[in-house]
Amino acid sequence: MSNFSHPYIANSEQDKKEMLAELGFNSIDELYSDIPENIRFKGELKVPHFQSEFEVKEHIEKLLSKNISTREYRSFLGGGVLDVYIPAAQDELLRRTEFYSAYTPYQPETSQGTLHTLFEYQSMICELLAMDTANCTMYDWATGLGEAALMTARIKKKGNKFLYTAATAPNRKEVLKNYVSGAKLELIEIPYDKETGKMDKEKAIELMSEGVVGIYFENPNYFGVVEDEIEEVIKVAKERKIVVVAGVDTSSLGIIEAPGNYGVDIAIGDAQPIGAGPLNFGGPLAGVFAMKFDKKWTRQMPGRIVGITLTPKKGKWAFTNTLQTREQHIKRFRATSNICTNEALMAMSTAFHLALLGPQGIKETGESMYYNAHYLKEELEKIGVKTVFNSEFFNTFLIDLKIPKDKKEEFTKFMLERKIFAGIPFSFDGENYDYLITTSYLLKKKDLDDYVKAIVEWRNE
Amino acid sequence: MTYKQATYDEPLIFELGKPGRRGHLPPKTDVPPREITIPSNMKRKELPQLPEMHEGEVVRHYLHLSQMNYCVDTGIYPLGSCTMKYNPKINEALARNEKMCYIHPYQPEETVQGILELIYNLQKILSELAGLPYCTLQPAAGAAGEYLGLNLIRAYHHDRGDYDRIDIITPDSSHGTNPASTVMNGFNIIEIESNKDGQVDLEALKAVVSEKTAGFMITNPNTLGIFESQIEEIAKIIHEAGGLLYYDGANFNAIVGMIRPGEMGFDVLHFNLHKTFSTPHGGGGPGAGAVCCSERLSSYLPVPVVEFDAENNRHFLNYDIPKTVGKTHGYYGNIAIALRGYAYICALGAEGLIETSKQAVLNANYVMRKLEEIDGLVLKFNRELPRKHECVLDATPLKHEIGVGAMDIAKMLISRGYHAPTVLFPLIVHEALMIEPTENENKESLDRYIEVFKEEIAKAREDPQYAHDAPYNTAVGRVDDAWATRNLILSWKMIKELEKKGQWPPKWPEDH
Repeated sequence: MSNFSHPYIANSEQDKKEMLAELGFNSIDELYSDIPENIRFKGELKVPHFQSEFEVKEHIEKLLSKNISTREYRSFLGGGVLDVYIPAAQDELLRRTEFYSAYTPYQPETSQGTLHTLFEYQSMICELLAMDTANCTMYDWATGLGEAALMTARIKKKGNKFLYTAATAPNRKEVLKNYVSGAKLELIEIPYDKETGKMDKEKAIELMSEGVVGIYFENPNYFGVVEDEIEEVIKVAKERKIVVVAGVDTSSLGIIEAPGNYGVDIAIGDAQPIGAGPLNFGGPLAGVFAMKFDKKWTRQMPGRIVGITLTPKKGKWAFTNTLQTREQHIKRFRATSNICTNEALMAMSTAFHLALLGPQGIKETGESMYYNAHYLKEELEKIGVKTVFNSEFFNTFLIDLKIPKDKKEEFTKFMLERKIFAGIPFSFDGENYDYLITTSYLLKKKDLDDYVKAIVEWRNE
Repeated sequence: MTYKQATYDEPLIFELGKPGRRGHLPPKTDVPPREITIPSNMKRKELPQLPEMHEGEVVRHYLHLSQMNYCVDTGIYPLGSCTMKYNPKINEALARNEKMCYIHPYQPEETVQGILELIYNLQKILSELAGLPYCTLQPAAGAAGEYLGLNLIRAYHHDRGDYDRIDIITPDSSHGTNPASTVMNGFNIIEIESNKDGQVDLEALKAVVSEKTAGFMITNPNTLGIFESQIEEIAKIIHEAGGLLYYDGANFNAIVGMIRPGEMGFDVLHFNLHKTFSTPHGGGGPGAGAVCCSERLSSYLPVPVVEFDAENNRHFLNYDIPKTVGKTHGYYGNIAIALRGYAYICALGAEGLIETSKQAVLNANYVMRKLEEIDGLVLKFNRELPRKHECVLDATPLKHEIGVGAMDIAKMLISRGYHAPTVLFPLIVHEALMIEPTENENKESLDRYIEVFKEEIAKAREDPQYAHDAPYNTAVGRVDDAWATRNLILSWKMIKELEKKGQWPPKWPEDH
């Protein structure tokens, strides 16, 4: 028997001996006696090992030291995630082991903390989006889009076409395509107007024909453009009983209208931009999934939902996971989705953040981002850099830089030398790159001026 | 041990606070304000009705709520198939490193070399443990891993023009996510019955295998904790029929470093880093999945794949996978969670990982042998076989005798300050109590748990109503799940509407 002792393992050698003796065994290996000899691994495992916690810490910190964070360089990157500040009080609550080391609240009586907080998350999301119900998150916005498309098909039963705007983020399009690939759902792309960057509404109306179950657009869309001419499309969708799905930038909702107030049936997005958590290199995030209440439709929603219930004995109301009969652990292959583990702690974290921020905070962060973006746009125009689309926008816009493919890397480096992450490159022709710029509320005037200055220098090179 | 969970009459946060209070002052730009020119149809008219509280009130509210929660650090949490092991605190500290938190997924590669290297290292380690050479961390959870793994299987068959392979076979003891992920992939699910030993019935398997077989999904050891010792035979049957084998890694904590699914004949698997590799469950998530696969499935992996360019000593994101299935997550997966799993592995090394499995298995068998002595509980399926990391007891005899079933037992246990096992799963055991203590519990802890089990069942025998009325000592008494489904009150907004109609708080039926 080995003499192994480690902080992550509870029993000592003595304990093991006693337990084995009670079981009538000499060694733990006897508990593996039913496993055929030839499938046992006998080689040497190549797995790193550090002797102490201190050394593990040193190793990981050394690895991470090779990264450059958005606290060191100025970030103009967005595209679905946003550089945010996480208040210390929020992190303090996140560090409560009662929250983070609990499991899914399958035993509601001893998990009211999780359930109550998730109910508040659902409720805050409903306030923000002007919706009636929300689930306890999908993995992220992209998988939420996939799930929303599948849900529209479940609701409508008849029909197999799902429309989506071409001004959807490329990564979300990819996930959407993947998610519907098993469902025989046909995806049809609605083009955007080349001048305004908005969804081509005539085309959208034309495409909303027989067999269409749902229509998806983003607002503001991937180019940052506000879809302010969408009313007619939504009206026609309603007439033709097509489910309207909108993907929204949650951080815009202090400034931009809530989707529930302009006819959207299902609203999705990510809670990361409203403070679910920091960027985390793109995960964990928190897919928002909310909808108008409808007895039938709500039962088709994917994911976990917390509801109110009663405790008959004590006569109190309490919280529990509800509509569980839609879920995989009960319904197996008839479930509305395969999702089990979701992003619950990120949902709770969102509730902490929104409770701290309040309505005023949502408005102010939105305004800061709006002011920053519009200031930067004007300053860039002063040096002759235009935006690709001349439409209303919130905190994101596409600048007409047309950096040739073979210069792209050089441009990136040039900006990095000035401690700037320049934006997300986007190409219409595969040869030249424009840049999608997002201004968070962490940027100040000097950062914006430096960006403009850097572009001037680049042009003068 | 006396136990009483903290109990507060904590209102909904929306009832707290007053207009004008602030909980946090976010940074404001120094760019001058300007008129917001968004047209009125798209301009927000009314701000969302979020709480208005000062910082201390917010913290107090959620502190109260946190105290009404049971967690791994409160006590034993032996949920079968969930692997609720301790979450090392160093991992939480490391994940808060600014160079982890504040990196954007689209930053230039040269500014994220550290995290790419960590991802790459972890992929290599997981491949090593899987015995399958390729790996991606893109799935955000186990079910997302299953979905992706089946995606790869489908892509493989389609690439070979084998469009008629539409059947995925799985035993009836499998996790609920298996059939759900199968159907989401457009496959047809065939569930086969387990044999008297709780294992795959080879004859039943042979009977359903055909030229339509796309693959077979199983967790090994299975959800009964029994190792499927005929796995090579199963692999042969499936492979000969032209299908592929999927390994559901939810039960991997039983075999780490000792048995590699690749060597059992599996073509693809997923890991749950939030089970086997100690990352927290967060009250339901985030988890982190990882999928490992064989050479023949590697050309379909989702983009991007993190690779290493040895010549230039540089890690990079490879998007150039011509036959890729595309993407199954917006970015690269739950990377800040994966970091915790990596730290856990680094702290244990090969020897430590093997030891965790062995002790998890010892603990499960120890508990099983003690609990099966209790009158009213039986070990279904072959009693002689040792179990692995978990065991399933059946309370059907007790239910028949005194009407007290697995759910009542669960509620009695939580009254005493111990978490319940997974109940009523797997479905092939009617009154299932599925117990997975993990290596995190020592002998004293297990002995106490066993003792409490005995005491509570003894109390139930004296007074079955005591069992039906449990739990006691928790923040709330037994909740009525059926009422929740009938009434569907799902947000504060819905409560406000009920209030307007005079229907809030909910009225009590007289007979209660």
